[in-house]
Formats: sequence, C-alpha cells, structure tokens
Amino acid sequence: MKKTLIATATGLLLMQPLAHANIDISGYASVIGGRVLSGSGVEAFDLPPTFLANYPLVGVYEKDWTFKPDTRFGLQFRANLMDGLSATAQVVARGADDFDARFEWAYLSYDLNENWTLQAGKKRLPLYYYSDFFDVGYAYLWIRPPADNYTWQIFNYTGINAQFNYFVGDWDISGNIYTGREDDQENKLLSQFFGSNPIREIWKDIIGGVINLNKDWLDIRLTYMTYINERYRTVGGVVERVTWGDSLTRRGKFAGISVNMDFGDWLLLSELNRLDLDGGKFDTYMVSAGYRIQAFTPYVSYADFDSENEKHSTTSLGLRWDFHSNAAFKIQYDDVKDKGVPGWEVAGDSKSISFGVDLVF
Amino acid sequence: MNVRSITILLSSVLLSAGLVAEPLAVIVHPTNVAELSAEDVSRLYLGRGRTFSDGNSAIPINLAEGMPGRERFDERALNRSSAQLKAYWSKLVFTGKGTPPQEVDSFDEMLKLVATNPSIVGYVPAAAVDERVRVVLQLD
Repeated sequence: MKKTLIATATGLLLMQPLAHANIDISGYASVIGGRVLSGSGVEAFDLPPTFLANYPLVGVYEKDWTFKPDTRFGLQFRANLMDGLSATAQVVARGADDFDARFEWAYLSYDLNENWTLQAGKKRLPLYYYSDFFDVGYAYLWIRPPADNYTWQIFNYTGINAQFNYFVGDWDISGNIYTGREDDQENKLLSQFFGSNPIREIWKDIIGGVINLNKDWLDIRLTYMTYINERYRTVGGVVERVTWGDSLTRRGKFAGISVNMDFGDWLLLSELNRLDLDGGKFDTYMVSAGYRIQAFTPYVSYADFDSENEKHSTTSLGLRWDFHSNAAFKIQYDDVKDKGVPGWEVAGDSKSISFGVDLVF
Repeated sequence: MNVRSITILLSSVLLSAGLVAEPLAVIVHPTNVAELSAEDVSRLYLGRGRTFSDGNSAIPINLAEGMPGRERFDERALNRSSAQLKAYWSKLVFTGKGTPPQEVDSFDEMLKLVATNPSIVGYVPAAAVDERVRVVLQLD
C-alpha cells in the first residue's frame, strides 16, 4: 500500500504537465475492528461461528478479534482540466484484500452543459442507495450498509454514464443512465465463499438508470438495471461454462426504491429492492432510524434478504459519535438470523460487535 | 458607568468572543443585479444550483472551516451542522457528483474575490461589508 502510494505521488510530481491542470487529492479511511460474540456457524459447510459483514469482498468476522474485514483506505486524484473536463481516479486498499491497493474508479468527466455531465470509464455500479459511496463510511450512519441488502457479487462496471441535474417546482431532480459490462476473472464471493472452484463472473449488456428526488428533508431514489449473466467455472484446471437449465446465459432485472427523511434531529432511512433472475425473485429491504443528540447519533436498523432458499436478516444497534471535524467513531452490535433452507445457509446465526473510526480528508 | 455603556461593553466583549452571533451578509459584485433568496443561496452552496436567476453562472466561495462565521453560515444558510455537511460532500466528492465550494482563509480575501469577479458569491460578517461589494441577503 505505502509503496504504491509513494510511487503514484512521485509519478504525479515528476510528470511534466502537457496541459495546465489542478490536481485535487482527497481521501477517506475506515479502521474497524470486531469479533463474533456467539454464533452457530454452518455445520454442513464446516463453517465456524461467522459474521459475513461484506458479501462482495468476503469481509468475515470470526471469534477472534480482527481489523481486516471492514478496514479500508481510499485516495482520490482529480485532475481538473478546465472547461468542464476532468479525470478522476480512486485507489482503494482493503483489509479484506490484504491491503492490496487497486484502482476501483478511473473515469473521465465532461460537463455538456449546466444540466448534463457525461462520464466514461470504470465506476461503481449504482444499484443500491449506498453502492456509490459504500466505502466512504463517514458519509453514512452505520459501520457498514446492511450486509443482507448489499449481497451482489459484482459491484463495479466499465462503461458510459450520463448524469443530470434539474430543479423543477421546488424539487431537485438528479440521476443518471448508464451502460457497460464487468468481467470478473476470479469473483471473490462465488469462488471463495459460496464455492471452492474459481468462478469467472460476467455481467454484460448492463443498462440502468437512477432518479433522485430531493426536497427539504425528503429524499427519494428510484433505481433500475438489467444485465445478462454469463459464468465460467474452472475445475481441475479445465474451464467449463456454467449453464442454467438449457440456457448459457440468464437475464437479471434489478429494481429498487429508497425513501430517506432527515427531519430535525430524526433520521429515517429505508430501502426496498428486488432482483429478478430469470424468474427467481430475490427481495431485500432495510429500515433504519437514528436520533441526533448533538455529536451523538444512536441508531437501530433491520435488514432482510428473502428468496426461495436463501433467507437471512440482521438487527443492528449502534452509536455514531462525531468527535472530530473530520472523523466519526462508531460502535455497532449485529444480530444475524440465518433462516436459509438446509444447504442454502450463508453463515448461520451470529451476534457480533464492531467499532472503529471513519474519516475523510 | 451607566447601564448603557455596560451593555455596549458587554456586547462587544461577547461579540469578540463569538458568543453573540453577528449577522452575516451574502455578497456579490456591485454590477451583479441578480436577486438571491435564502433558498437560492442554500442550493448554490450545496452544489444543486449553478446559476443566478438571469442564467449567468454563479461561483460560491466559502470561508475556511474553523473561521468565525463559517459554522454559523452552515447552520443559518444551509440548515445543517458542519459535520452533516462534511458527510453530504464526502458522498458527492467520492462518487463524481460534485465538488464543494472553494474556500478562503480571511474576510479580506473573500471581499477581494467578490469585488473582482461578477460571478462570485460570498459572505462576510455584516460589519465587514464595504463599498466594493453589494449585499444580496442578510442572515441574522
């Protein structure tokens, strides 16, 4: 991590600028520790008591204290080339990936006019409300967005994004439409947690859109995305194509609504989503409430995942303390109930504690 | 010492200690005739609006964090605590949806910028306003 960052910084300093550009460097970090207090594990999978706190990155807490699953550092470089053109790159190093720093965002942005901005490159797939800023713990209430909702194995894409911003009759209306694909050569969640063979996961022909409606204390977000799923499995060094029934591919359709209220000292957050995968329904929802008492915000949260076989929920209790102008301390208790049918459990029941600091700079 | 002079003395002591909130003046260039409502100012500083009512582009400038007046502006004009605003901006900055207003370190610098560029919107304590700028809105 350290080496990579120094190399990047030196690179920027030594580079002879061809065009005059202001480079802004900003960043965020979350250092979170935690452990499972008690849990059932899943005997059939030989799984000890486990709390899967982050599905796509396989952030896993067990009975020993660990700081790896949720700890991460992000650095963003934004070169403003003037006249509406900018280039942005974000390097993220995660404990769940042994702090192996990677470019997770890298895109060009061009303001077409006052209302529209065109972007191209690698970005986060904006499925859920918190997908976009999932890594920026400081920007939200909890230690992490509820794990039961944020379960999908693909979370970035490479493509084109057009975002807009309008002000219509007291409402701020913003959003984006995007298209692209993601080809994950060895998907972590499918290869390491839900299986033991390397899985290449492809989401192609992605087309999606998001609309945000904002007025005073009310924030409503609608999201829709459709894609084609293609999958390959490597067994004993041989690559084989995964099929679903007679089909080589399957179509996914994701839709969701989120309603948030920030009213006086109260904070009410909700999210409801459905993924339809060739007729199979995967439903998720989340409700959260927080109450601000000066720098302290105690909160409660309930999140649920429901499908034909896989079913689980998490009840969380926590406290956010804005102890510094750039940092917040958080402590959270999570009670996971795994009601999956036999063979479809995720990680069993668990009760866990985690705490840590989120900061931005 | 009569009651009146005690009151004046007391209020100036409190003012300098920042205990009594001084009104803030939202300022623009004298040739800029645009009107700005409290709502317009809020939208500009939250990155939601980018233009004056006449369609010309508007550039909001903030006082640096920790400067007297900044926290008050956050609370009075934007109706949010500084911590809430930082969370709001970190969401936009790291998702490519916006960049927070540029910041300056002194009232002098703020006045100088507003006085030289008709696109710029700024704010200073009402007592610091001079003839180089025009007050569009006062926040008590």
